[in-house]
Amino acid sequence: MAEPIGSSCLAVNGLVTGYDARNVLTGVSLSLNSGELVTVVGPNGHGKTTLLRAISGLLPVRKGSVSLNGRAISGLPAHRVAANGVIHVPQGDLLFAGMSVLENLLMGAYLDSDQVAVARRLDEVFSLLPKLAERRTQIAASLSGGERRMVGIGRGLMMKGSVMLIDEPSLGLAPIVIEQIYDVIARLKASGRTILLVEENPARVADIADRIHLLDNGAFVWSGEPAVLLQRDELLATYLGG
Amino acid sequence: MKRQDFAHLMIGLVVLAAAVALPFYVDSRYVIGQVTLGLFYAIVASQWNLLFGFAGVFSLAQMALFGFGGYATAMLCFYFGMNVWAAMPLAAAATVLFSLVIGAACLRLSGAYTALLTLAVAQVMYLLIVTDTDCFIMVGTQCRQFTGGAVGFARFGDLGTRAMFKTKYLVANYALVVILFTATMLFTWAIIRGPIGLAFRALRDNPGCAMARGISRFQMQLLVFGLSAFFTGLAGGLYAAHFNAIGPGVLSFSQLFFIIAMVVVGGIGRLWGPLVGAIVLVAADEAMREIGEFRSLGLGVIIAAVMVLMPNGLIGLCENIWDRLRRLRTRSPALAAEVSGDTPA
Amino acid sequence: MDIIGPVLVSGMTTGALYALATLGLSLVWGSLGMLNMAHGTLLTLGGYAAFTAASQLGWPVPVAVLAAAAVGGLIGALIFMLVAYPLSRRNPETFETTIMIATFGVALTLENIVLRLYGGQPLGQPLTVGGSISLGRFVLPWQNLVIIIAAIALMAATALFLARTKAGRAIRATAQNPDAAKLLGVPVARVYLQVLILSGMLAGVCGVLVSSITQLSPSLGADPMLKAFIMCVVAGLGNLPGAIITSFALALVEALVQFLAGARWGFPALLAIVILVLIRRPGGLFGRVEMRRL
Ligand SMILES: Nc1ncnc2c1ncn2[C@@H]1O[C@H](COP(=O)(O)OP(=O)(O)OP(=O)(O)O)[C@@H](O)[C@H]1O
Ligand SMILES: [Mg+2]
Repeated sequence: MAEPIGSSCLAVNGLVTGYDARNVLTGVSLSLNSGELVTVVGPNGHGKTTLLRAISGLLPVRKGSVSLNGRAISGLPAHRVAANGVIHVPQGDLLFAGMSVLENLLMGAYLDSDQVAVARRLDEVFSLLPKLAERRTQIAASLSGGERRMVGIGRGLMMKGSVMLIDEPSLGLAPIVIEQIYDVIARLKASGRTILLVEENPARVADIADRIHLLDNGAFVWSGEPAVLLQRDELLATYLGG
Repeated sequence: MKRQDFAHLMIGLVVLAAAVALPFYVDSRYVIGQVTLGLFYAIVASQWNLLFGFAGVFSLAQMALFGFGGYATAMLCFYFGMNVWAAMPLAAAATVLFSLVIGAACLRLSGAYTALLTLAVAQVMYLLIVTDTDCFIMVGTQCRQFTGGAVGFARFGDLGTRAMFKTKYLVANYALVVILFTATMLFTWAIIRGPIGLAFRALRDNPGCAMARGISRFQMQLLVFGLSAFFTGLAGGLYAAHFNAIGPGVLSFSQLFFIIAMVVVGGIGRLWGPLVGAIVLVAADEAMREIGEFRSLGLGVIIAAVMVLMPNGLIGLCENIWDRLRRLRTRSPALAAEVSGDTPA
Repeated sequence: MDIIGPVLVSGMTTGALYALATLGLSLVWGSLGMLNMAHGTLLTLGGYAAFTAASQLGWPVPVAVLAAAAVGGLIGALIFMLVAYPLSRRNPETFETTIMIATFGVALTLENIVLRLYGGQPLGQPLTVGGSISLGRFVLPWQNLVIIIAAIALMAATALFLARTKAGRAIRATAQNPDAAKLLGVPVARVYLQVLILSGMLAGVCGVLVSSITQLSPSLGADPMLKAFIMCVVAGLGNLPGAIITSFALALVEALVQFLAGARWGFPALLAIVILVLIRRPGGLFGRVEMRRL
């Protein structure tokens, strides 16, 4: 990450995408500077996951563009986007259920053939998420929801990349576990990572997000600082139900 | 009457007219014989299309049902001295029962499992017949196996057309097959349009909603297994009676896939797909007879290539071209009114 | 009892062959959700390739076996590139059934090419070992022992490859969750290609083994493939260890039935077992009811 601070790391421009005949996103633009944490909030089913899937190439972009560190990545297949440095921690973790924790983490380093570097990153992940070190031989299918989320994040951290997309890390977890997960995310931001985070509840990201985009019906209806959004009761009531 | 029904009716009448006209214009016994054979294939293919194309059940036991009908007819005549005409409907009913049993075994299975199980059933039937060597009865000095063994049954009785029409009997048999084919198509059409067809469309398009409305996938699937077996079994019986012989050859792998190829080439899930496929493949088969040795090879290439390049078959291809032409027309505003005029509200 | 020896020898030998045939089939199903109807033909091609290499070109035995693997792998690759890949891209929803039909077309084509090239009459596979070891009344022909050992060695090598290597891990990961694998940079299409090559190579060698105790004929692979289908269904499609255990168990049952009731009842007995298992467990003994697609 030799990019100077403040330069645009990930830029999405007028993105249109969807499934079958229907467009789910009707023109979304955002940009992330290096070291920033930007959050997309919005009600269920309005296209947050779709946005991340389009950025990482799982879903074809119909119009608009995505670029990473100045290079266009829209149109590339997902594995090439990953090779370019986009880390995507998907909604629902999508772990390799039949593999151990360690194997799941090692899959994260699939693109890296430097064994020493992989071992070093594995140590880093274990020190950030010590629970994974204890469970390294356990099969992923038998983990608890919180542990799975940590494997998902840990697997992402095993990748080399310049921007991290995290999709609803709090989904389906108990409040205390959510706190632990957000603690980890805050530390990731503190360590200088660039993160695009999807979340349903803006209050959770108030302390860590540099900006919030409010997604409704396939487009951003409001963008700004989290503190401001939390003051705007009418926005919260209209789009997020209170 | 809906537009689509009208189209199907018109096509049906044209096909029927052509079938009736054929013996008046063609004298060759060979051609009549091949067309008869093609119609048998088309009947079986249309019933497999009902099962797979409309109900989505990938069964590989269709030729086994056909063979079952044929063998049941032959055995009823052979062992009980029954008249062929009495034996055929009985055999068809037995085929329905047989198919229901297979259907019940496949009920909860997904696509690939259904395919493998039905294939195994067909293959076991074939092997048991071919390897049957135990004497069941003696005919003269010859030993007969219960299932007819590798040679099958012959001369168990015929349709009576030989006695009545003498040398013209082939045309009479052809007429019988045309009648059976017509009945099969009417039956298929009625099912597709009727409640069962609707239920399957609902199950395919929105399974959750369909089930909430009380459509039971299991019941419907079993029903289709039974229904599609009736005309298949009847065709098997008529086939046996027409040739006055039936052997294990009808159960072979290549016969089965000849049928499947017809549906694929014609168009899966299209009412007329099997007929189109039967015509094209029987014609191609005839053409490839010239180059003799490459028949099966050509068939294999056709199946694979059509599946990859033209998954909706010839009819699907025509639909595509038709659609594109229509869209071209609609694009020019002057003609738009005319187009909207002939689409019913 | 005098039947125990022969039943064990014949059951273990066919079990090893079924297991090897099943392994390739199951690997492809587990990764791509594709039932390769041309798998049996890959066995046939392997058998003929070894025959050509050994008796017509005079190559040494190991090279002939490698040639069989190479031909199987090559055809496997072609099946993926020309048939499976375009079909899955065009319509993933119907892939499960369309691929069966298409690969059957491939099988028909290849089988007829073999028929054209070599004729329909059975040929003897030159790669055979004579003699036998006898331990009391127990007679074990060397040929059978070679088959059992070779099959088990190949299965062990495949298992090691899948468990221990990076490529093997990527194959398993892709089978378990293709989307996640893509996000981590795994070129999924290439992994599928590798799976088909691997499966084709296993099938090729399996064909050599099968032909070494029977004879070469264009329909050589049909019977092992049908049996492999049965093993897969009983075990649960895509479950590798389950498929191997099932192969040996059912082969022993088949051998026993054949000795007790006559050869023609072996297959019906297997079918009866399949139906009983499936009525109880529609996803097979070791399988879950699930669908996986490309
Ligand atoms: N594979 C798919 N095929 C068709 N439509 C889809 C598919 N995946 C998602 N959709 C539709 O796209 C829309 C947006 O879905 P998306 O998953 O992006 O929502 P989301 O904002 O992430 O919701 P949630 O908060 O529940 O995760 C929804 O209407 C959904 O039904
Ligand atoms: Mg989502």
